[in-house]
Amino acid sequence: MIGIGSNGKAIAGLQELFASATHDASAAMCRWTNGVISVTLDEVREVQLEEVGTELALGDEMLTMVVMTLDGELGGSMMVIFDDLNGRQLAASLLGRDAGTEPEWSELEKSALMETGNILGCAYVNALTRLIDGDLRPSAPYFVQDFGVSVLQQALTSQAAASDTLLLCEIGFQRRGGRLDWRVVFVPTPGLQTSLRRSLHAVPEDAQEISRHLDHTQ
Amino acid sequence: MPETTVGMGQIVAGGSPRQMKAIVGSCIALALHHPLQKKGALAHVVMPASAGRTGAPGKFADTAVPRMLELLKELGVAACGLTAKFAGGANMFGSSGPLQIGGANIQAVAQALETAGIRIEAQDVGGTRGRRVTFDCAGGLLIVECPGQPTRKL
Repeated sequence: MIGIGSNGKAIAGLQELFASATHDASAAMCRWTNGVISVTLDEVREVQLEEVGTELALGDEMLTMVVMTLDGELGGSMMVIFDDLNGRQLAASLLGRDAGTEPEWSELEKSALMETGNILGCAYVNALTRLIDGDLRPSAPYFVQDFGVSVLQQALTSQAAASDTLLLCEIGFQRRGGRLDWRVVFVPTPGLQTSLRRSLHAVPEDAQEISRHLDHTQ
Repeated sequence: MPETTVGMGQIVAGGSPRQMKAIVGSCIALALHHPLQKKGALAHVVMPASAGRTGAPGKFADTAVPRMLELLKELGVAACGLTAKFAGGANMFGSSGPLQIGGANIQAVAQALETAGIRIEAQDVGGTRGRRVTFDCAGGLLIVECPGQPTRKL
């Protein structure tokens, strides 16, 4: 494995790659929400395993999440995270109705949120697949309501097996330019990190394309 | 009472009065306690076996228990008389979901305790929900809060 370590250049390179993938995901999100909601890359950073709960400020409250995993060596986990109120508001806006008030989420509400996770996750998978020229196999989206840290632990299993340092990609949501209190955390496995890093060196024309993407989005 | 959060792969040992807290899903919150000396340790175990991998000792069941014993020894606590309680090992994405590891963690922790000759006093494991665990070093009480369920005191 190529070590990512604390190499600032490697992180910066991965930041560029994820910015490109986020651009594609944002376009998919805009289409899904009739142009209302977009996503932006907040940060790619390394976090120590023991501090991941604190660093992500997940607290010990119940959260609503949609989780997708990538199976295999080129793998990872993606969590779309909402508090209950915000999750319900998104589901309501997608369904064209008022936000539900029953304690239990309806199957329709869950389905709307899972489809959102699916659209975002697949947009990322497609973009990353083009960049690494590899095969990424996403799971079906899982709807989970629980402690954020509890869900994160299982999602981090593959990464934690290999290292005490985790690479996190954090993505934020915007509604007509205003930031929303929703977010996505993507954690690539060491194998996927290595492939992504290799792609930075091996395919300069892709890097140029990424730069054009970034110029276009800034 | 001072409260310490024990993150993934961490081990914290101490005496009374002190509370330790961990939130676990597939991970295990493993508490060792000496009732006479009123001291204990809490580990946040992430995976079953180190299998030669390096990393924080608390991350793996097979390295966490020996390290807990070392830390307690530094506090003057002998292994004799220690008891264990643990909670966690859930499958957060259901039995058919990806990354199943909760069950393996439960077995590995039980095995590591047996190897160390430490009696398991209580456990609250499995299921599909996360747990907020609070350990009282003085009394050895392990409080387990699970969404939608009554609080359990082990």
